[in-house]
Amino acid sequence: MKYILLMSGTQSGVQGYHAWSQKDVEAHMAVLRAINKELADSGEFVATQGLTGPGEALTVRGEKNGLPITDGVFPESKEFLLGYWIVDVATLERACAIAGRISAAPGPGNVPTNMPIEVRRFANHG
Amino acid sequence: MKYILMMNGKKADFERYAQWSKEDLQANVVFMRAFSKELKDSGAFVATEGLAWPSEAKLVRAGKDGEPVTDGVFPESKEFLAGYWIIDVDSPAQAYKIAARVSQAPGPGGKPGNLPIEVRQVLSSHADLGL
Repeated sequence: MKYILLMSGTQSGVQGYHAWSQKDVEAHMAVLRAINKELADSGEFVATQGLTGPGEALTVRGEKNGLPITDGVFPESKEFLLGYWIVDVATLERACAIAGRISAAPGPGNVPTNMPIEVRRFANHG
Repeated sequence: MKYILMMNGKKADFERYAQWSKEDLQANVVFMRAFSKELKDSGAFVATEGLAWPSEAKLVRAGKDGEPVTDGVFPESKEFLAGYWIIDVDSPAQAYKIAARVSQAPGPGGKPGNLPIEVRQVLSSHADLGL
């Protein structure tokens, strides 16, 4: 079963990351890379992707003539997708365990970020 | 440059969608299939996925002992990802044009849904995060 693990944050939450020291960023990324490698080794890794920051986000709707209408204003409470992992695992529990590992990745001062990770199953194609 | 086009909705939006007539659902699926084919034919297609319903969604945090702490309760205002497309295009304008097209997918009564599509550029590597 394929699951997508979504890491999201508000605009003010994202600004907090930019205050991290280089050392903290490196420690964080080293753990994420190790998780990616473990998933690749176990055959559970499908894909991972980071997104550009919320400052570049736009909402697009189609006008009657088909032209795009873009809007870059979001409520402060808006949760922006920051990045995701797609995993192919045997059970929901396993997907949640991987999400827990990502949530435990260190933040400033080597303290786990404890970021909430949303776990969603992919719909079956049919 | 790669973009992700995201379709989001609150639980109430999903519940409304569940009440669409079979005919309306069918028309929407036909549109979406044609849309994916267009993307593939134009070379812009990278990936697309639909997600299972928000009722299955879990929120996971690391517990103190490293064990996952799972929660399935979300505020009503929570926006859930319903599905996405990843496209590879030459310009942001092209990404917006494609998003506008999928925003026009038919809803109830065959009328364009005019759904908001969130358009985000994806990073080519984590180094681009600039942290």
